[in-house]
Amino acid sequence: MKELVAYRCKKCGLIMYPKHGRCLRCKAREFEPFEAEGDARLITYTDNQTLPWGIDDRQRFLGIVEFANGVKAMGWLKVATPKLGMKLKPHWEPVRVMGGEDVYGLVLRQGK
Amino acid sequence: MRKVAIVGVGMIPFGRYESESLVEMLAMPALRAMDDAGIGDRAVDALYVGNMAAGMFNHQSAVASALADYLALLPAAADTIENGPASGGSAIKNGLLAVASGYYDLVLVVGGEKMRDVIGPRATDTVATMTHPTAEYIYGVTLPSLAGMFTRLYMEKYGVTERHLAQVAIKNHNNGLLNPYAHIHASITQEGILDSPHSVVNSPIVSDPLRLYDCCPVSDGAAALLLCPAEMVAEFKKPKVVIAGFGQATDTQTVQEREDPTDLKAVRLAAQQAFAMAKQTPRDVDLAELHDAFTILEIAESEHAGFFKKGEGARALEEGRTRIGGDLPINPSGGLKARGHALGGTGVAQVAELVWHLRGEAGQRQVKGAEVGFSLNFGGFGNNVTAFVLRREA
Repeated sequence: MKELVAYRCKKCGLIMYPKHGRCLRCKAREFEPFEAEGDARLITYTDNQTLPWGIDDRQRFLGIVEFANGVKAMGWLKVATPKLGMKLKPHWEPVRVMGGEDVYGLVLRQGK
Repeated sequence: MRKVAIVGVGMIPFGRYESESLVEMLAMPALRAMDDAGIGDRAVDALYVGNMAAGMFNHQSAVASALADYLALLPAAADTIENGPASGGSAIKNGLLAVASGYYDLVLVVGGEKMRDVIGPRATDTVATMTHPTAEYIYGVTLPSLAGMFTRLYMEKYGVTERHLAQVAIKNHNNGLLNPYAHIHASITQEGILDSPHSVVNSPIVSDPLRLYDCCPVSDGAAALLLCPAEMVAEFKKPKVVIAGFGQATDTQTVQEREDPTDLKAVRLAAQQAFAMAKQTPRDVDLAELHDAFTILEIAESEHAGFFKKGEGARALEEGRTRIGGDLPINPSGGLKARGHALGGTGVAQVAELVWHLRGEAGQRQVKGAEVGFSLNFGGFGNNVTAFVLRREA
């Protein structure tokens, strides 16, 4: 998905998301931006029932996923029953309102 | 480097302070620490204040300058130290290095936070500003939800159960009953928080698998220490307790970037550094104050700090080894779970608790014959951790 841009170190190949000023492994400073692609596999999740000020939802499933091309990211799981290892489809949608404006982020659903 | 001793300790009960300002609240344990050492009107060279978020909780910045003025410490040097929930540990580190270097002799370290000036969801949001702004915060992630994700993986990998988590909470609440400084003085049972049909009301889900009683309270509170070179201890009226070892390490800001999200690398490294500096091992430790902001963390930290092998912390808990009276009492103060968690206050309160035990002044919760203590203050979700080894010396 073109909205979720990760970075590959040009020297050692380490994949990083979010962006860093130096490679976490080899300290190099040049990166190739690339898009997270493919299905996302659910690594872990939680049912957050005490959301912070600024979010009106009663609960949200939040999780960490790994895309088919190795990018790992946090996202909002819009699924009925999350399960470790399940495959999810990524979407780029509003996840929060900040300063009166929609902020977009990673939303994960089952199916297409 | 000079060896550094703690000659004064002060704390106030954690809980809620409605009629005192932040600075008034911080001043109370500071004065107690000064009186504990008996320094009288002697000048303090420097003040370090551990505080995470007074700008957001109390609409106040430059807290150390205000406290130096309020306590008439002028013209002492004064700095506010911010390292999230490990601000207290970092403030002690700054005091330690300042005295060890020979630059200052008498240093006052105060840690505190006044979180309850704002409502719960605001406090939750303020704490969540530690997370990555675009890769985590925007989703509504909170520290309990990061802990929930960590707990799910730890349970899967090491067989930790909800029952183990409840046992941490029950133990630490029992310890808190013995601590006059504890925020929560309430006995809890496994039936009440886990087994009975009422448990879903008594201890509702916060961020699963973590329930209410797996999470520390939101506290106001503060503690203080007075540091000096070890060779000056005889000038004061207290037994000699030295900071024998210190360690600090960082890890990735986001949990997702860790190769193994269940590996608390910064905890392991900070503890190793502290033990190496102290020339001691985890086996030498008589009691530990660990950062149990969430019950899972007491178990995981006890393993990463080297007290138990990976995956064996829960068994040690089941066997009663971590109770007062066990071979390694953990969190005799009640920990963050019951003594409370006042962000910048926690790291200083942990060390104050160790000093009381090493002096034999811990009252009903005293760990008998304690000579070596260990504390661990966990910043972010394990991305900036401080550790101390304290030792009583002749």
